[in-house]
Amino acid sequence: MKFFQSLTRIDRRLIYLILTVLVILPFFLKFHLPQNIMPQTKRLYDFIDGLVPQENKAALVSIDYTPQTMPECHPMAISILTHCFKKRIPIIGISFDPQAPGLAIEAFNTVVIRLNACATTKNDSIIYGRDYIYLGWKSGRIAALMEMGEKISNVFPRDYYNNNTDSLPLMQRIKNYRDISIAIILAAADYPQEWLMYAQARYGLKLGTGLTAVMAPKYYPFLQTGQLSGMMSGMKGAAEYENLLLKSGHTTETGKAETGMNSQTLVHLLIIMLIIIGNIGYFFLQQKKEH
Amino acid sequence: MKRILPLALCLIIGILMVCQFFIPHPVSTQFNSIINKWVVVLSAFALVLGIGNLTNHHAMTIKRRKPDWQYSLVTLLSMFLMAIIGLFFGIDEKSLYQKIYLNILTPLGATMFALLAYYMTSAAYRAFRARSLEAGLLLGAAFVVMIGFMPIGQFIHPQFPNFAEWLMRIPNMASQRGILLGVAFGSVATALKIILGIERSWLGGRE
Repeated sequence: MKFFQSLTRIDRRLIYLILTVLVILPFFLKFHLPQNIMPQTKRLYDFIDGLVPQENKAALVSIDYTPQTMPECHPMAISILTHCFKKRIPIIGISFDPQAPGLAIEAFNTVVIRLNACATTKNDSIIYGRDYIYLGWKSGRIAALMEMGEKISNVFPRDYYNNNTDSLPLMQRIKNYRDISIAIILAAADYPQEWLMYAQARYGLKLGTGLTAVMAPKYYPFLQTGQLSGMMSGMKGAAEYENLLLKSGHTTETGKAETGMNSQTLVHLLIIMLIIIGNIGYFFLQQKKEH
Repeated sequence: MKRILPLALCLIIGILMVCQFFIPHPVSTQFNSIINKWVVVLSAFALVLGIGNLTNHHAMTIKRRKPDWQYSLVTLLSMFLMAIIGLFFGIDEKSLYQKIYLNILTPLGATMFALLAYYMTSAAYRAFRARSLEAGLLLGAAFVVMIGFMPIGQFIHPQFPNFAEWLMRIPNMASQRGILLGVAFGSVATALKIILGIERSWLGGRE
């Protein structure tokens, strides 16, 4: 009886200690767990990989996550930006979450510095204004989304660095959603739904998304209808995308999501074991009580 | 007049916005564009209102020396300090603003969210018991999805990830679609009630 009681009353400090060790361990002991790629991640990857670089087309990346959800969404941003730049697809970055611009410019900076380090000519380099721009944050999300369908620079007359948007070489070619190959929304809140309602339904804009794992189940219906061209779901989605980039030779190593996924796997195993232990204790205690 | 004017405006603009959505005429597009610009500007004013309220609330807390007033002081100082740094010293990637954001705000935010893992693990262990058939089913589904989405799921059984994906794609999607349709119909009904002036709580004040 005492043994079964002890199974249901493990000291929470012990749980916290084991959890801490399991989270930290993969950062020191490098190991690789093969990822099984989910169809929605593969769809997003294939869509972007199938895009042909065109003079008057760009990808729009809406970076709308916050520091709280950075471990899940930031690797997604790094992977998407890397993939687009490697394919020579120009990127327009925007944010509708006021906390996001700091992370957005950090993501752009990381990818651009890394890729430019390998560039040998000006043509190989990623240049602000020509290959990418970041327009910053804007209030009035829904109205802004609709107005961007008419003219993007109407909503963002100046970019994040206070340049006249229309004066940037990229924006002289890109006017509205007709010139956008795909919009990818990386969010930790319900922003993709508004993109679906206003930008996709009204203007037929192709949408992809990267969401925190807790939000992803809500977007399965839109994948089935084809309104979403693909989706990355949580850290797993980010790790899958990193692996796809590695396999196709776009990158030479996986990023932070892979390491994070190792930690997450160990923690999930701990949770499963604890639930099983708790339920064994509970089951036998109930049996004893009935007898 | 104080009530009739906003109600009339709501009715006219509401009907016009619904109609313009289905009319791809230049006049309709132009009207939509003007309204959108107005909404963007008005939303920015809401932000000013929010900052005003926040300042007022915390200033009163400090002035009256309410319990934990020190936190209010930190809030106000942080808010205005960041605003001043951003306004006068720039916000680009090498700015002080960005350095503070990346080195203070980001780790603090991530830390707060990371604490959730501890609570969730402890709570899952204590509360997740198969007390009934429904709880057992929930437990089973959670196990399948969790293991199926983990990289080791495929080693337990090659079909584990597919089964987890099936759970998400079929039963989950069916229920999500039901919820979405319910919300959509509810939104249409509420919008109609507001446009037609049946629902007036947005006007504020007493009936």
